[in-house]
Amino acid sequence: MEHDNPEQPGWVRLPGYDEDPRYPRGADYPPDYRRGAGARAAGVRRVRQASNWTAALLIAGVAAATGYFAHHAPPAAPATSTVTTVPGGTAAGVHKPSLSGPVATSSGSGVTVGTGPNGTRIVTYRDN
Amino acid sequence: MAAMGPEGAGDWYPVDAGTTTVAVAERAALGTTARVVVWPPGRAGRALAAVDAQLALLDEQASRFRGDSEISKVHRCLPGAARSGSARPGDAPRQDAPPKDVPSPDATPLGSCIVSEGLAEAIAVALAAAEWTGGLVDPTVGGALCGLGYDRDFAALPQDPASEAAPPEPGHVPGWRSVQLDGRRLRLAAGVRLDLGATAKGLGADRAARAAAACVPGGGVLVSLGGDIAVAGEPPVGGWPVLVADEPEPSGPELGQLVRLAAGGLATSSIRCRQWRRGGRTLHHIVDPRTGLPAAGPWRTASVGAANCAEANAAATAAIVAGEPAADWLAAQGLPARLIAHDGSVRLLGGWPVIADGLVEVPAIRRMPAAPGGGPAGAARPPLCPGGPAWPRGAR
Repeated sequence: MEHDNPEQPGWVRLPGYDEDPRYPRGADYPPDYRRGAGARAAGVRRVRQASNWTAALLIAGVAAATGYFAHHAPPAAPATSTVTTVPGGTAAGVHKPSLSGPVATSSGSGVTVGTGPNGTRIVTYRDN
Repeated sequence: MAAMGPEGAGDWYPVDAGTTTVAVAERAALGTTARVVVWPPGRAGRALAAVDAQLALLDEQASRFRGDSEISKVHRCLPGAARSGSARPGDAPRQDAPPKDVPSPDATPLGSCIVSEGLAEAIAVALAAAEWTGGLVDPTVGGALCGLGYDRDFAALPQDPASEAAPPEPGHVPGWRSVQLDGRRLRLAAGVRLDLGATAKGLGADRAARAAAACVPGGGVLVSLGGDIAVAGEPPVGGWPVLVADEPEPSGPELGQLVRLAAGGLATSSIRCRQWRRGGRTLHHIVDPRTGLPAAGPWRTASVGAANCAEANAAATAAIVAGEPAADWLAAQGLPARLIAHDGSVRLLGGWPVIADGLVEVPAIRRMPAAPGGGPAGAARPPLCPGGPAWPRGAR
């Protein structure tokens, strides 16, 4: 805002604007009064610029947060959700083991498959 | 192989898994082999003791091969329910007078007794599985199994050539609705003999894994009861590696598939194990309640992943019994499954990993309906056999 706007219908002046009998409304104001108007305009301009920067920062912050949570938030658990595992990590101060070979077999009852020396697979059929 | 701790561990023997980051042990239990895998290995002793306690409890409660088990006493005590032995003084459970206001489906009198919480849970899970599968997994097939010759621990079954001339008779299956459970009060129709085999091992694996995981805070446990697997606690990186096999001694292309399990349970039902011969026929232990005879569908092996092992166990057995409709039902349930037909062809369903070493992503919510007295269940799903078995009661 570079200049005082002319009065518009419905506008309301700030309190005290035309209470000084030396400067009635519409008069040709002296330079000291115009300096005051300029200072007020400059103040309003600074506030508006600050508001613009604040709004921009807020928008950028919200956008960044939205992007982060879209990629990192845990999914909800509807009826079709599944349980998955997260690689790595530790539990109780101990690293999770990383296993390559089978540690159990799911087959007909009584079948077990183990790993023997040199990685050989040992199949045992037990039905106790 | 990490050493197993001695504290409280029963007859476990260590298994070489080729790594020291987990402890692996096995022992005979529940008519099959129990295997426990624990990390960190230093706490294996306590975990094994917890598994021991759970397996002993389940055996005392639900084994139909033990004369002193609670379920055997139920069979002896309830009026008209006895098939072998007779009620003895002091036999538990407590027997009540037969109720007069609850007719059985067969209009035969019901016997009533109070059972332990543990047996009540095992029966409740079996009934929930029966409801879920429309009666294709039925806990009242016990009598039919006995009639087919599976009347003792499998290792003790005689492979009697002299019986070749006697063809097997279809067994009578009273139907799961002849069993009523209200809290701990069990009502059985006359002549009903319970067999919880389709769900009890899975339930036992679930119980044991939970109990063992509580002994290894921050660690993880895998419990396998004859191939019915439950995991609890923290899984290893990428999940527990499990070999899903079909053949008792797989070789070549039928060796099986390596998959990963990070939560829940994984179970396999197969007609290729526990076979015996009667009347010139090779029989197996998965009875179709619609016929009273061993299931004769197109699948020889079914492996299913689920939110817990009892559910996986029930679904795998139901798939063998149901035959072709099982594929659509499993897909509708959203359960990852691997079906093997008699010709060896493999069908993968419900997101079962196509690649080797892939993760079996099990549903987070269980699909079976809530068992009587059980916890919350997932969304209602259509039963495998809507409306129950479509055959006249008493027909074979």
